[in-house]
Amino acid sequence: MRRVIRTTAAWRLSIWTTLAFALGTGLAFSIVYFLVAQGIQERSDAWLRGEAKVLAQVSADTPRDHLYHRVVSEVVELATREVPDERNAQGESLNAVFFLEEDPNNSDGPLWVGPTEEGAFLTAIQRAKPVAGIPQPIKVDGWPTTFQVVALYENGRTIYLGLSNRGAEHLLGNLIRRFLVVWAGTVLMGFLISYLSARRTLLRVERITETVARIGTEDLCERLPAQAKSDEISRLSETFNQMLDRIQSTVNQLRCVTDAVAHDLKSPVTSIRGTLESALCNEPTEMWRESIGEAIEGLDRLLHVLNTTLDVAEAQAGALHMDRSTVDLSDVVRKLVDLYHPAMAERRHEVSVDLESHAIVDADVHLLNRVVSNLLENELTHLPAGHRIAIRLRSYNGSTELVIEDNGPGFPPDVSNRAFERFVKGKHSPGHGLGLAFVGAVIHAHGGVVHISDRPAGGAVITVSLPASVLQPA
Amino acid sequence: MRLLLVEDDLAIRGFLRRALGEAGYQVDTATDAKTGELKALEGSHDALIIDLGLPDMDGLDLIARCRAQGSSTPVLILSARRSVDERVRGLEQGGDDYLTKPFALAELLARIRNLLRRSSAPQNDSVRLQAADLQLDLVRHEARRGDQLLQLTPQEFSLLEYLCRNAGRVVTRTMILDHVWRMRIDTATNVVDVHIYRLRNKVDLNASEPLIHTIRGVGYVLKDA
Repeated sequence: MRRVIRTTAAWRLSIWTTLAFALGTGLAFSIVYFLVAQGIQERSDAWLRGEAKVLAQVSADTPRDHLYHRVVSEVVELATREVPDERNAQGESLNAVFFLEEDPNNSDGPLWVGPTEEGAFLTAIQRAKPVAGIPQPIKVDGWPTTFQVVALYENGRTIYLGLSNRGAEHLLGNLIRRFLVVWAGTVLMGFLISYLSARRTLLRVERITETVARIGTEDLCERLPAQAKSDEISRLSETFNQMLDRIQSTVNQLRCVTDAVAHDLKSPVTSIRGTLESALCNEPTEMWRESIGEAIEGLDRLLHVLNTTLDVAEAQAGALHMDRSTVDLSDVVRKLVDLYHPAMAERRHEVSVDLESHAIVDADVHLLNRVVSNLLENELTHLPAGHRIAIRLRSYNGSTELVIEDNGPGFPPDVSNRAFERFVKGKHSPGHGLGLAFVGAVIHAHGGVVHISDRPAGGAVITVSLPASVLQPA
Repeated sequence: MRLLLVEDDLAIRGFLRRALGEAGYQVDTATDAKTGELKALEGSHDALIIDLGLPDMDGLDLIARCRAQGSSTPVLILSARRSVDERVRGLEQGGDDYLTKPFALAELLARIRNLLRRSSAPQNDSVRLQAADLQLDLVRHEARRGDQLLQLTPQEFSLLEYLCRNAGRVVTRTMILDHVWRMRIDTATNVVDVHIYRLRNKVDLNASEPLIHTIRGVGYVLKDA
């Protein structure tokens, strides 16, 4: 049985599993990322604070002479080298450090050591006004990343030490990119594994479904094969087998009951009918012949109901004996339409017949005869005189469809939903409501469906679909 | 003609013995399979009528035992079991014909006649049938009433042929459906009657005496008045 993959349970199951897996791994990574980022931040902050203190000390201890600028600059250079040198693919250093000392007493102006001229940095620092001793990020115009800057105020001088966040950002960016690649791969792999394993498991369920469907329409004696593993699915098939045992025993009981009823009722009826019939042949007076004839007809109606009821009960229980062969449904319909045509013409019905020949089905020909005759009897009994009946037979897409359509009053609303149940009939309709029940049960037993509806323009439509035979007629 | 009826149901045995007697047969009866077997093996009967639901043995086994002991008397099986495989098994075990209860007496008589004809002589396949002033030419598919040619459809011709073969004997609607249309269907409508009505309009319309008669509750018969 071919299916669209997206409608299978295996697909849905693996989609959900994958989604949960992806979310879980994503969350775990976020935590790791957050911790790493925090660690890097703490490390660089600690370095900034420590180094700022050292530089403040150096600046305090160094005498203010003409060497002062050079000494402090060299110390800053040395400190800068302590920062692990990270380089990008082009070989440029990713770390940039700047040092700024503002001293109102120094006539040379602020002391600046940094990657470029101090202008942009001065403006950025004046804008941010960092709190003393607490590193904070500052955006400098012309630089792609922020600088982590710490400020120290001492003896009227202010020392600023800044470290570019570019190295940390590069590291974290790399981390994210690599994670995304690995994550996509893992999720895809997870999806494949969960889809394949779900499909393997569910294929076993699918096989059970197919077998049970076949048992339902064909042979009640068949059972599901025992499963090698002992798991939920093997328990499912065990349960199915137990259910089939129960159904089979119910069906057998039903057979016994119907046989018993059949026997117990039929023997007396046979003798009553036979006695009446032989009386009829010997009775000379017209009046008695009429009464006896009427009695026999009454008995025949009773027998008709009895027989059909038993047939319907058997067919609905799947206990109908079927002798299947390849049958051309168009032959069956044609013969029966020939048989019923005069009776329909008698009721002034206009019958149009459009039969596609070679509509081959695997069926019991006697049962099919009875099905089609029941459908035609149904039209004959329920359709008021002078209507049109259209009978069509088509086969397409592996099924054969017989449509019987009329332009009469259609199905009464109280019937249309339950027309295939026993003894369901319209309040004012003649008959005993077994005809369509029989049709429904027999067609179902053949693996087909019967559908009734009302035509939009008024009138009833009965559609019988049977699976077309895969074999060609012998 | 002598028949043996093996049937345990008192009422059925009673009416069958009477009805078959009236139809001109001598009837012996047995109420169980043991006596049935003994009587059947005497070999003095022209046909056996055996019910399947016997108290001491299944009717099918009785037939098998008779056949095993060399009896070739034709057997008509009566059964209240309706299933098709039962019918098939019955015919396989050596039964010659099968009738489901309840049955029409007319059908039982027709089947017994058929059975006896089959066993006594090869069927006389004449090319002409005649009943009163009705003549059927089976080769040319022509029917004449007196000297007038009847315009019949092929279906009407087969129906008339069947009535004619059974001239003087009642045929039921089920028998007509079975033999003319080759179908075992159960009808509660007047399908067959309409066919008879049309046929009668052609056969009896211009004739002084009607040939096709309705026996209410049973069926039809073709005969002189």
